[in-house]
Amino acid sequence: MEKKIFIISETDQGNSSQETFELISFARELSCGQLPTIILLGSGIEAQAKDLSEKTGCDTVAVMGNHLGLFNTQAYAHAIMDILPPKTPLWVCLPHTSMGYDLAPLLAVSLNAACITAVDGIHSGALSRSIYSGRFIVDIIPQTPTVVVTVLSGAFESFAPEIPLPGSIRMVQASLPALTSKTLGIQEPMHRDSTLKDAEVIVSAGRGVGKKENMDLIKELAALFPKSAVGASRQVCDSGWLEYRHQVGTTGQTVAPKLYIACGISGAIQHVSGMKKAQTIIAINIDPNAAIFHVAHICIVEDLVSFIPILIEEMNNCSS
Amino acid sequence: MKILVCVKQVPDSSDTLAIDQQTGRIVFKPSTVFRMNRYDEFALEEALLLKEKFPGTSIRALSFGPERAGTTVCRALEMGADHGVHLVFTSEIYVSPFITAWFIASYARNRDYDLIITGVMAEDDMACQTGQLIAALLDLPYATSVISTEFQPEGGTVIADREIEGGCRLSVRLEMPAVLTIQSGINTPRYPSLSNVMRARTQQQEIIKIEASDLPEQRETCSSLNLPDSASLGTFITGSPREKAGKLLHILHEKAFLC
Repeated sequence: MEKKIFIISETDQGNSSQETFELISFARELSCGQLPTIILLGSGIEAQAKDLSEKTGCDTVAVMGNHLGLFNTQAYAHAIMDILPPKTPLWVCLPHTSMGYDLAPLLAVSLNAACITAVDGIHSGALSRSIYSGRFIVDIIPQTPTVVVTVLSGAFESFAPEIPLPGSIRMVQASLPALTSKTLGIQEPMHRDSTLKDAEVIVSAGRGVGKKENMDLIKELAALFPKSAVGASRQVCDSGWLEYRHQVGTTGQTVAPKLYIACGISGAIQHVSGMKKAQTIIAINIDPNAAIFHVAHICIVEDLVSFIPILIEEMNNCSS
Repeated sequence: MKILVCVKQVPDSSDTLAIDQQTGRIVFKPSTVFRMNRYDEFALEEALLLKEKFPGTSIRALSFGPERAGTTVCRALEMGADHGVHLVFTSEIYVSPFITAWFIASYARNRDYDLIITGVMAEDDMACQTGQLIAALLDLPYATSVISTEFQPEGGTVIADREIEGGCRLSVRLEMPAVLTIQSGINTPRYPSLSNVMRARTQQQEIIKIEASDLPEQRETCSSLNLPDSASLGTFITGSPREKAGKLLHILHEKAFLC
C-alpha cells in the first residue's frame, strides 16, 4: 500500500502560500500521482480551507485555535500530531521556510522519523539536496517507515489542476496544551529599501568582493546602468560592507529585475531564492565551479576585482 | 548560568573539495583549511556576551567530529569559552544531523545546562536541523534563526526574536532550559585575545571517543553524491579579460540594458 502523504500548508497574508501548491506537486511525484492531505493551521481559516480543497481537490484538515494564529513550534507540533494517524507509515511534507525547518525536526523526533530538509528533487527513490553552497548534490534515502521532509521553495511546479473534484474538508478545534514556549508577536522589518524592488538592474556583491574597499567597484558598475541599485549577499551585510537593507535572499528581499549581475556570489540557495526570477542573470566569479553558474544565463570566470575595472573602462569608452 | 555552545568544523572554502569516484564521498585536498562554522561563531559570541552581562556564567564549547575538529574546540577556547569538549568520531558512514544531535543530546542530558546554543545551520550541509533535534531529544523549547535575545534570568525565561522571511521578526518567549539556534549578523564575533590564546594552548579539552558500536540506528543513508547537472549551466564567455568585457558589453547593448 502507498504511504499516505500529509502536507503542512503555510499562510501568506490570508492566502495559502505558493509553497503549498508546490508541495502538492512534490507529493504527487513522490507517489505516482496520489493527492496528499493538506493540514492547515490557524485561526479563522474556514474560507481558506474551502478554497484550498476546491482549487486542489485535496482532502483538507483545518486545525483551528486562537493560539495557532501566529506560528509557534510547540503548539503547531502538538496540533499536527493530533491529526496524523498513529502507528501508520507516512510522509509529512513541509515547505523549507522559517516555519518548516523550525518544525520538521520536532515532528521527526515525535514520529521516530527520518528528517530530510531543503530537498529540491526526487531522484530514483532518493531525495536530492544541495550541499556546500550548491557545489554538490547529495541523494538521501530514508530508512524509517515515516519520513519528514522540507522542500525548497521553487523546486517544484505549482500544482494547478483545471477543475478538480473538491476534496473533503474537516474542521478541528485544537486543544490548548501546556507550552514552555509562547509566541509574542511579529514585527515588520525596520528598514526596507524600495529602491531594490523598483530597480531594473541590480548589481550584487558576494563574499568574493574580498574587502569593504572593493564595494566601490560594485557601486561604480551599478551607476553606469539606468534605474539601477546595489544588492548584496547576507555575508556581505554581516561583514558590515553594506547595510542590511541591500540584502537579497531568503531573509532579505526577493527581487525580479530585468538584469541581475552577481559579482563574487557563490550561489547558495539562501541568496539564489531571492533573485532567480530575474530575467537575465550575469555571474562574475573566479571559481569556475561556483554554483551561481547554474543559475546564471551568462557566465564570466574572472576575478571581479581585476575584471570590473576593465568592464567599466570598456563601458566608458563605448559611451564617449 | 550554564551554557553549552555547539561548534562545527567546516572547510574554509568548497574550492578544495572533490568527489572521490571510487567511494562516492567528498575528499579534501591537502590544501583544505578547516575552521569554525561561521554561524557557530555568532552562537559562541552570543554566549560570551551573556557571560559579560551575567557574571558567574560558564560556557562549555562542544564539537562532534573527527580528530582535526579539536582545533575548532581550541578556537572556541581562544575566543573565551571556559571549557572545551570534543566528541571524537571518525566514520565511514553518512553522518546525518540526527546522529550528531543524538550524541550532543546524550552529552548534555543530566548536565543541567540552562541554555544550549548552536548556529542556525552549518555552512557545509545547510540542513538547519541539529539544534532543533537536540532540543527535541531533550524535550526542551527552542527558537531557530535567532537575531536578538533578551534574558530574564530571575524569571527563568528568554525572549528570542526569530528572523523569518522578508526580514520580519517573530518574537517568542521560552522557559529555560532552552535551545537557541543563532542567525548570522546578531553580533560581531570577537577575535581571540592574547591571554585567551595562551590559556587555550595549554588547557586540556575533555575528550570523549565515540565508537561505531555507540551509534543509534541510522534514519537516513546517502546513496550518491554528484555534481549539479551541467545542462543547467549558463553560457560561458571566453577570451582575455578585455575580450570578455567587450563581448559582455555587446550583449548588454543588444538586450538594451544600456542606453
